[in-house]
This record gives sequence, C-alpha cells and structure tokens, in this order.
Amino acid sequence: MQIDLQERDDVLLRRSAKGDEDAFAEIYRRYQAPLYRFALRMTGSPWAAEEVVQDIFMTLVREPKKYDPQRGALGAFLYGIARNRVMKQLERAPRELPLENTDGTSRANFFATDPMTPAHWAELRERREQVRSAVLELPIEFREAIVLCELEEMSYEEAARALECPVGTIRSRLHRGRALLLAKLEMLREVPKRANASH
Amino acid sequence: MTCEEFAMTGLEPRPSAEDGPLQLAAREHLRNCPHCAALHENWQTLRGDLHALGAESRELEVPSRVEMRLRQQFRIKHSTMRTRRTAAIAAWALAAAAVLVGAVSWINWRHQESLNVAGRRNAAPPAEGAPPNSGPAAPLAPTAMELGDVVVAANSVDFALLPGVIPPSLEEATVVHVQMQRGALTALGLSVNEEQGADWIQVDLLVGDDGVPQAVRLPHSAD
Repeated sequence: MQIDLQERDDVLLRRSAKGDEDAFAEIYRRYQAPLYRFALRMTGSPWAAEEVVQDIFMTLVREPKKYDPQRGALGAFLYGIARNRVMKQLERAPRELPLENTDGTSRANFFATDPMTPAHWAELRERREQVRSAVLELPIEFREAIVLCELEEMSYEEAARALECPVGTIRSRLHRGRALLLAKLEMLREVPKRANASH
Repeated sequence: MTCEEFAMTGLEPRPSAEDGPLQLAAREHLRNCPHCAALHENWQTLRGDLHALGAESRELEVPSRVEMRLRQQFRIKHSTMRTRRTAAIAAWALAAAAVLVGAVSWINWRHQESLNVAGRRNAAPPAEGAPPNSGPAAPLAPTAMELGDVVVAANSVDFALLPGVIPPSLEEATVVHVQMQRGALTALGLSVNEEQGADWIQVDLLVGDDGVPQAVRLPHSAD
C-alpha cells in the first residue's frame, strides 16, 4: 500500500514536471494540510506556515528533479523541505505566540457541540493556550517530535522517516520533550517527592 | 526499576514487542512508587491535552489563495518552458539547415572542381617520354613537364618540329602551354646548354590527336 502510494506520487510528480497542472494540484491536495499544520505548530504563525507551504510547493514546481524516489517517500522529502523552511522562518521572524485558529468554523463548532459551561470552556481554552505556548517554547528537535507524534499522531516510524532519523532518536526526543513540557507547565510541582530513589 | 530508570523510559504509550519486559518492570514500579505514579498521571494528562490540541486543529488547511498562487506560478513556469523549448527547437533546426546547406554546397563545389580537373586532364594528357623530376625539390616545384592552363587551337606556324616527326596536320593538333625544365627538352630530342638545364621555362607543345608532342615552340625569353 505504502509502495503503491509512493509509486503514485512518483507518477504524479513526473506528470507535474511535464506541465500537467492537475497532477500538481493532486500532490498539493494530498500534502498541503499536514505540512501546513506542521509548519503552524512549529512556527506558531499562520502567515509563516502559509509561506512555508508555498515555498515547499514552489520547490516542487521549480525543481521537481530534486526529489529522488530511491531515497524515500515524497512525504518525507516534503517534510524535509518544511523543516528547513521552518528553521529559516524561526531565525528570521520573531515568534508569534498566540496561535489562534484561523478557521472560524472550529471555534463555532466547539461552542455549538460542547455542553460545558462558559467557565469550563474558558478554563479549557486557557489550558490549551498554555500547552500550545509550552510546545512553541520547546527546543526545535523536541518540538518536532512532539508535533509529529503527539499532535499529528504519527507513528514513530512515520515520524522517523519525516525527520530522517532513527526511531530510537524519536523516542528519546519525545521522552525529553514530554519532561520539558511537564516542567514548563509546572505539572511537576504537584508531584509528591520521591519516597526512595530506588525500589 | 529505579525512579531514574522509570523517568528515563517511562511507560511507553505505544510499546513495541521489544519493550515487553521493560514495560512490565515500569508497571511494577508504578504500583510501588507514588512519585512516579503522580508523574505518570501528569504525563497522561499532558498527552490528553496534546491530543485535544491536535484534534482542535486537525481540519486546518492552507487558505485557498495559496493554491491559486501556486497554480499561477506553475502555469507561468510551464508556459515559459514551452516557449523556450520551442525557441530552442527552432534555433537548432535553423542551425542544422544551415549546416546541411553548407555541406551540400561544399560537396557540389568539390564535385564541380574534380570534373573541371578531369576535363583539363582529358583535354591535355601528359607528354610521353617526359624525364623524371631531376630538379631540386622546391616547395612548389612542378613536375618536369606540367600542363598549362590554356589549350589553344593549333594555328600557329613558328613551331620547330621534333626530330623524327612527320609534319602534323595543324587542324588535328592542339597547342599546350607547359612549364618544364630546360633539361627536359633533351628528352624531346633537342640539344640544351647543360649549364642552364635546371632552369624552368614556358614551352608551347604542338600535340597530335594521338597525344604525342610533335613540335615545340620556345618563347623568346627562354631561348
């Protein structure tokens, strides 16, 4: 299935390189959303994420031969470009911490379907904001792992392919990232002290 | 398992087959250590928050203006490429046509040249019995007897008959201008001053229709 998908990506990319706009649009539709979410969660800025996605696909338009199917799936290649662009964005622009939903429907649906009181909802929102800010403050390598495995719910193998590193590295980064998040959210404060260092 | 080990490995949310014994030890530790149990509970809460955060933005997509911009860039790039490709093909086709025309012209010219030379040779075959080239090897030294460029009608009368030749009919003979060494005249039966034997002179030969020289006329300067 994965191989079939890869082959289809290859075929689409070849057609796109020859000027087939529909093939290009299909590749775009297939990958734009996860790449956008990745960029958004990494940069915290919808504008920066939009620019990142545009840069990724402009690379495909200008240099389609940069992608070598022998070296992996198109998705991993696109995540690689996304990571580079995100790094550049983070170096270039100050981070915009308040990450609001850009689609107005999400919050409206939330109101319409959530039976909680406004106070509960406000508390939940505040909590989400804290988590979002804490994620954005993580060092990049831990943030990447948290974003892909926890927010995007990718498997470790998929995340390892996207980040071009071993699965063990993903695990250790996740572990360290979670510990940092707990520390940032001051959740460790509520933990009782160790009764004994070793059991 | 110690608290440090538990902190390092934790309870893997997505354990693999290799994690089995480690996960069992972690669960055992969790039952006995309130610190690690609280830590684990916080991890689970945090995971819940992260998943909720992920779910909240799961439907997010790039605004449609980005797709429009990309499609526009795609069209511009590929229409430019098409124009360039057409221009390149046209340029190569023109160049190939020019080369072809040049080659055909050259071949024609060469063919014409060889026909002209063959015509001249046929018109004036070399004299029989001409001596081998005995002169110095000058860079542009012609052979001992070289055909001239002009063949004229044999209507001149101041030719000296070569020894042993019956007077030819002038209507059947042609006059050939040749350049030869003075010494080569001895091969035609004429006596030559040996000191001047190596000099190059212009000579008119009266050649019969059998191609054999029958009379010779020396220009005044060569006398």
